[in-house]
Amino acid sequence: MKISDYLKEHACQMNLSAQNKEEAIREIAGSLNSGGEINEQEAFIRDILERESLGSTGIGHGVAIPHSRTDSVDGFLIGFGKSSSGVDFSALDGEPVHLIFLMGANPQELNLYLRLLAELSKLLMDAAFRRELMAAEKSSDIIALFQKFES
Amino acid sequence: MGIKNIVVSVAGGVVSLLTAKYAVYLAQQLDAKLTAVYVVDEKALGDLLKSKIFVEVEAQGYESDLEEQGRRFLERVRRMAEQKGVAFEPVLTRGVVHDEVVETIKQLNADMLVMGELKEAVSRKEIFYDEGERIFRESPCTVVVVKDYEKVEMLYGSI
Repeated sequence: MKISDYLKEHACQMNLSAQNKEEAIREIAGSLNSGGEINEQEAFIRDILERESLGSTGIGHGVAIPHSRTDSVDGFLIGFGKSSSGVDFSALDGEPVHLIFLMGANPQELNLYLRLLAELSKLLMDAAFRRELMAAEKSSDIIALFQKFES
Repeated sequence: MGIKNIVVSVAGGVVSLLTAKYAVYLAQQLDAKLTAVYVVDEKALGDLLKSKIFVEVEAQGYESDLEEQGRRFLERVRRMAEQKGVAFEPVLTRGVVHDEVVETIKQLNADMLVMGELKEAVSRKEIFYDEGERIFRESPCTVVVVKDYEKVEMLYGSI
């Protein structure tokens, strides 16, 4: 039950063109959808944005983790996007966000979802991990970094 | 004497359902009582609040959803056990998962714990933090780790 078991190369956007939160979420959701992992893309995005309306998931240090439980996915999924210029996510520290992890889980898999969310948050507290994610150039590098830091 | 008191640790979801099926099978074959324990993971919720990934209202929503999911899941296992003629008791509790499961085993003086498959590869750090690993290591009774889910379906279907 590790992030690297779920994060796939096609779901890693290494150069987001998005300028704002919704565009970034849509862009990453698009790459997840290309892998057929979302049953209803618009419903998925709506659920994610609804959660964002409660408070930003931009948790500081240039990181955001938009997430939601949603019927539009069957199990658990995660996508990643990196923005060199940064995206305004109304983050808690007011800084632009460069690393975005988009997560969704079916309500039947709540415990798995919570544990993976907690695992991701723990990993992202490590400044070295964040630095290496920022320096990564290819999708495969992102997966390899998770494998490295999760082992 | 013998194995008369089996505990199964469940967390909802597909793997837990198969784990519960195996536990029902074992209980029926051994003529043992089965107790299923579901723990609302308050530690994970607290960690997510602390790290600001959850807002208060969201954490409260998840907490009540987890409790409801636990109730529904335990009811499902109760029906499965009853269909197979197994005496059943549900335990719905909250807190740190491994602590609660181990405490339930001790309180019931259980002979055997049945749990789902552990992670494939683990580091020392994971062994320390993973709830499944900690249940496995801290259980005071014999632990059966369920694998080969196809066979589980066959065994369950055979009784």
